[in-house]
Amino acid sequence: MSDGDRLWEVFARRKRADHFEHIGCVEAPNPDLGRVYAWQTYDEAKWFEMIVAPRDAFHPVNRPEQPFTLHPSAEALT
Amino acid sequence: MTEESKYSKAADLPEELREHLGALILVLADNKRLLGMRYSDWILGAPALEAGIACSAMAQDEWGHGRIFYAMLRDFGQDPNQLEHGRESPEYRSSELLDGPADGWTDLLALNLLLDSALSVQFEAMAESRFEPVHYKVSKLLDEERFHFEHGRGWVARLGSTESGREAMQRAFAPAWEVCVRWFGPDDDEVARALCDGGLTDKDAAGLRARWLERVAPVVESVGLGLAESDGGAWRSRVEPSWDGWDFELRRGREGGPDADTLVRVRGDKNRSLLMD
Repeated sequence: MSDGDRLWEVFARRKRADHFEHIGCVEAPNPDLGRVYAWQTYDEAKWFEMIVAPRDAFHPVNRPEQPFTLHPSAEALT
Repeated sequence: MTEESKYSKAADLPEELREHLGALILVLADNKRLLGMRYSDWILGAPALEAGIACSAMAQDEWGHGRIFYAMLRDFGQDPNQLEHGRESPEYRSSELLDGPADGWTDLLALNLLLDSALSVQFEAMAESRFEPVHYKVSKLLDEERFHFEHGRGWVARLGSTESGREAMQRAFAPAWEVCVRWFGPDDDEVARALCDGGLTDKDAAGLRARWLERVAPVVESVGLGLAESDGGAWRSRVEPSWDGWDFELRRGREGGPDADTLVRVRGDKNRSLLMD
């Protein structure tokens, strides 16, 4: 990960009635690029809705050790 | 708008409007096709894996758009196969910015933010076009283009955070700005005026340029590239469009065209023997 990049966790749902599922992560320096990269990287489905959140916005609840991971690929990137 | 006031096929258009709209569609299709190639040139060389994926996605979007609009020209009495595979360089109506590869990442970003946005502004002006075949295609196209704009904006912010990045952008954006600021044509361009009066677009050349400025000027000036200015009201270009060598029909400089390598690739010369139709 280059200087200034953050990890962005990507969540999406196929239909309005679905729950969001965590589908992966991208690295990007700002929300604009995080959103674009997420949309263009995870284009395997016709998503009804996709959202991203910076990984550092997530707070561990029961396991204080860092880093936690939402997705196996995130471990390789950190 | 009444149903009678819409056109469902080119043959329904008054002759002059049909000619103007056919010419505009070819300009747009050529720019889309060539811009897609420029994005694709950077799939492997982009500064981040995600940016390469984004270039791949944007290339596919552009080629898809190009294909739709080449195909639409069949209705205007033209042969899409000939348009796509049989023209010489001076016949292309793509911007001079696309004649050769974007040498650096900042050159590609200039195409991404400035030129791609100019094309989108022109398409937006046709979202409510009385010519229904265009009207029906524009909404999905603009959905995809929103991400192209945000890609450009995101990278400008990123590079603008360092002095060297800002200087590199200044070098790349200044020439691209000059080309894009004139791309819509002179304020009193009669073709753009006729298309607007005929309900095929919603703005004349001056209106389209103003809309493009509202879109891109806040982005380039958020990092102080010195290309546009605003006193809090409308944005103005600090560069006056130059009409020297401007070709009204091609919407580009009269001289030049896609370079030899570009032409071979864009026409698919190497695969000509495999063409199925």
